[in-house]
Amino acid sequence: MEATAEKTPAHSGSNPKNQLSKPAAFGIQAFFIIYSLICIIPVVLIIMVSFSNETTVVRDGYQFWPAAFSFEAYEFLFKDPTQIIRSYGISIFVTVVGTLLSLVIMALYAYPISRRDFPHAKFFTFFVFFTMLFGGGLVPWYLVYVQMLGLKDNIWALILPLMISAFFVLIIRTFFITTIPNAVLESAKIDGAGEMKIFIKIVLPLSLPVLATVALFQTLTYWNDWFLSLVFITKDANITVQYLMYKMMLNIQFLANNSNVANAIRSAGGTFRFPSETVRMAMVIVGIGPIIFAYPFFQKYFVKGLTVGAVKG
Amino acid sequence: MEIAETKAAGTELKRNSALRRKLEKSVFRKYWMFYVMMLPGIVILIVNNYIPMFGILIAFKNINYVDGILGSPWSGLRNFEYLFKTKDAWIITRNTLLYNGGFIILNLIIPLAFAMMLNEMKNRFMAKLHQTIMFLPYFLSMVVISYLVFAFMSDQNGFLNKTLLPALGMESVSWYFTKEVWPYILPLVNTWKWVGYYTVMYMAAIIGIDDEYYEAATIDGAGKWKQMTSITLPLIMPVVTILTLLQIGRIFNADFGLFFQVPRESGVLFPVTNVIDTYVYRTFLTVGDIGLSSAAGLLQSVVGFTLVFLSNWIVRRINKENALF
Amino acid sequence: MKKKGKRSWFGVLALVMAAALVLSACSGNGGNSGKTTGGNDGNKGAATTTPTDNGDKGEAVGELKPHKLTLVYPGSPQNDEAVVEEALNKLLTEKINATIDLMPIDWGAWDDKINLMIAGRDEVDIYFTAQWNGHANNVSKGAFIELNDLLDQYGQGIKDSLDPAFLEGAKINGKNYGVPTNKELASAGGLVYRKDVADELGIDMSNVKGPEDLAAVYAVVKEKRPDLTPLYSNGGVFNAHYFGNYDFLGDGTIPGAILKDSTDTTVQAVEDMDRYKDYLKLAREFFTKGYINADAATTQVAPQDAWNAGIVFSTIEPMKPGKADEIANAAGMPGKMAQIIMTEKTVATSETAGSMLGISSTSKDPARAMMFINLLHTDKEINNLLNFGIEDVHYTRNGEIITPTDKSGDYAPGSAWMFGSQFLNYVWNTEAPDKWEQFKAFNEGAISSPGLGFVFNSEPVKSEVGALANVIKQFQKAVETGSVDPEQGLKDYLKALEEAGLAKVIAEKQKQFDEFLKTK
Repeated sequence: MEATAEKTPAHSGSNPKNQLSKPAAFGIQAFFIIYSLICIIPVVLIIMVSFSNETTVVRDGYQFWPAAFSFEAYEFLFKDPTQIIRSYGISIFVTVVGTLLSLVIMALYAYPISRRDFPHAKFFTFFVFFTMLFGGGLVPWYLVYVQMLGLKDNIWALILPLMISAFFVLIIRTFFITTIPNAVLESAKIDGAGEMKIFIKIVLPLSLPVLATVALFQTLTYWNDWFLSLVFITKDANITVQYLMYKMMLNIQFLANNSNVANAIRSAGGTFRFPSETVRMAMVIVGIGPIIFAYPFFQKYFVKGLTVGAVKG
Repeated sequence: MEIAETKAAGTELKRNSALRRKLEKSVFRKYWMFYVMMLPGIVILIVNNYIPMFGILIAFKNINYVDGILGSPWSGLRNFEYLFKTKDAWIITRNTLLYNGGFIILNLIIPLAFAMMLNEMKNRFMAKLHQTIMFLPYFLSMVVISYLVFAFMSDQNGFLNKTLLPALGMESVSWYFTKEVWPYILPLVNTWKWVGYYTVMYMAAIIGIDDEYYEAATIDGAGKWKQMTSITLPLIMPVVTILTLLQIGRIFNADFGLFFQVPRESGVLFPVTNVIDTYVYRTFLTVGDIGLSSAAGLLQSVVGFTLVFLSNWIVRRINKENALF
Repeated sequence: MKKKGKRSWFGVLALVMAAALVLSACSGNGGNSGKTTGGNDGNKGAATTTPTDNGDKGEAVGELKPHKLTLVYPGSPQNDEAVVEEALNKLLTEKINATIDLMPIDWGAWDDKINLMIAGRDEVDIYFTAQWNGHANNVSKGAFIELNDLLDQYGQGIKDSLDPAFLEGAKINGKNYGVPTNKELASAGGLVYRKDVADELGIDMSNVKGPEDLAAVYAVVKEKRPDLTPLYSNGGVFNAHYFGNYDFLGDGTIPGAILKDSTDTTVQAVEDMDRYKDYLKLAREFFTKGYINADAATTQVAPQDAWNAGIVFSTIEPMKPGKADEIANAAGMPGKMAQIIMTEKTVATSETAGSMLGISSTSKDPARAMMFINLLHTDKEINNLLNFGIEDVHYTRNGEIITPTDKSGDYAPGSAWMFGSQFLNYVWNTEAPDKWEQFKAFNEGAISSPGLGFVFNSEPVKSEVGALANVIKQFQKAVETGSVDPEQGLKDYLKALEEAGLAKVIAEKQKQFDEFLKTK
């Protein structure tokens, strides 16, 4: 199927008689232009607000074309960029290391269970599949990481939990089963190659499409994760960009929704300060930056890979 | 006689188990590399997934932190009783099922329509471009999406309240305090995020259809509509079924990010935004009731479990190749 | 063959399960034994050090093993945290042979993280805790250890300086699980307003004694200064618990209260009280006349931010001496605000247990934790270092008066109200120099609520409490800011509360309260 996805002309294109009527074609064209705008516009709005002057935002609200432009928000953010750079570093490290490790581990796990001649394949397939069905819940899971492994505030707590996705293991397995001819494996074995050698020399090169797709998915998962930081990290040194963004609105939200608590804090003597509107939005832009630039490139491979694995999964 | 029989059965059994042990040994000798390869994965799965499963005990305990999970007194089904005594049990189940049900339908119809329309586009460059742009929301994290939604619906500064509604001469609306609109907003946001993804899937399936079918149909004088209903749809049905069933299997698991981030923890909205996942999280972390939270979590796991098996069974019946197990 | 495969399958499964069980059991036991031995160690340490501690302090320090104390409290992480920690370590090593790890957690994440840390048995020595922050619930789950013995042994400084009413009023089932901060004991509600604006408009604020006197003032403000919101609010107005003097007998989110300034011990829904209805009418009147900001029920702009933006004439605030100065300073208009106390001064559990430090049951050395808390109550240097940073870096000092420097922003946790004794704090140059004398005077002559020292245990009605919390979130703000018609709004609100089980919760509260009163 991956080959057909590349095919450029549509069916209707190949036969001049089998074409849509002009108005219908125009209608479709117009529809998609509008829909594409709907996809972009929210991001544009955030970008514009981040370049607005704070006082005009307070006065006019969020505008697509601010009355006054200003770089104040970014100046503020980069006046002391230590936290941002630090969080970027964490996000990048987690994404790169996490994706690579998880890819290796998942592929290594998927290969044996893809082999029909391996008597325990069924058990180990179920062993990974069962994790999709049943979970122990947040508390025991947290206890394992914090008490048993001692990973509180540790960067590995942001990597380990997302390392194995049962779904992807099964997809890789299915790919191995369907696309790697048994004959090839057999002949390699006759030549005296060990399983590890077969895996590295034969299976992996043949499986690049599915591995690329899973890698892309994992990249996205790691980069976009905020929950693990929320759960495991208390020190700002190890928080990711996503969590940095989330944290900014947390405080505001919290007080707006808990007026009883807010009153209690205030009557106990506490005060609150929040970042300004434009700074919040600038932070979002800083946070989505890399993904926005990387995604057209990603997208190409996604489309390729999706059709390979997910449908089969 | 009886004795002799049992004796015979005994030796038979003994021989069998000896044989089996031998077999196991030879399997291990032959495939030892496989175990080595799987080892990191097995360790992670045990640590990350299997050990925490013993946490389901919490649902049946009256937890005291000092005594630990094992040492705390049993409470029988009291946590479940509490859960069902509240209105919440009903609300979160209803919300989870209705939203996910709605999402499945929307993720079926809209991307399917989009894919068919894109496929009819003559200008391939434009079709590609639209597809690329449509895919953008899929790459954004829920934190970012919640900011995007907020930029439009914020009470004080939102684009809707400050610009659009006044321009239309309408009163501004406190979106984050108006329950009625959220059953529409959440599916809208969800569809916005996922439409690109599913469109690509269906596109691929449609492109995979052999051109000859259409050629033949054109010769028979079938119109576009006819081609769609009698060629395109039936031929991509397997893909559609699988994708949909996969979602149905997870109908009891809500997208935590969507329901947690996008409504911004607005308490007023809980009756329409609280789903099982957010309830489990909040009951534990904001209310501090670990027993109640675990009870809800366990219930979700058990029902979800059943649903996955059920949908897999259905997939198997349709097409064995596509079954997960 | 197939059967065989299946059998071995289950064999391996069983094996894995067993392995996992053993592992988890080990971890459980390990954790437990670790905990218990930790506790014993602490006690042993306590036992051995007690005699020397009573004698020469210096010798006692020599015998203490080094220990790193962790202090978890809500607040934004500060840039210069490490520097301050280092300075604190120097002092603490000398005094109690301990070092410290400050762990501030943002307010927004506080509830989530603290619950996770408590349930996850994180090794922490001291947690900030408060009656309104689930203290009773955490105590019932064994999160904090009982402090009475430790207080006797190592908390002499606390007992000497702290008004006994604090410890008395913070008890749960007759025991203390948190050491209250020594600060204002009394509470009252009142108004903070722009003095410069009042003077400019020629308004005589000395005649304003209660909220009903405000109508005339606001009429003038609204007419002459349309740029100012006469009364800014982002939640309730006069029916905030500190203004209405409602004592919720513990957690303020659970309905059913008595009046602090009355002797009546009947628990009632505040929404049924005459005072509530009167204040509601007043709020509605102000709202319809446009004195209260129209988005009061929904805005996410906190009063302090509104003050900072300079769009506010007055707000309703919990009162203490110097409240107006505090707000004015934060808003960058020092000296331009004044305050009027409008209600009786009262003392209730919400004040005595409104800010405490508890010792975690996971602490490896509770005795040392208590020594540290004791230092926060007695040692001026340590207290001020923790609250304001390093002298001549984060502030400059002249006697008791401190002045901000350009580095002040790098360490300004604003958490003085959480740590030890506020009476040890230095005073900012923009505040009244006799701030602490005013506090002491303020504490005198306050009326004690009949509920002082009682904390409601919500366990028997917990499903109702959850449902009620949702109803409150849905209605409370809209009703109490006067955004909706009080007649109809209150009726709907009450109806929803009753459906959610109001009567049952109140009956339970009354039952427990009556028992408490009997033993008193």
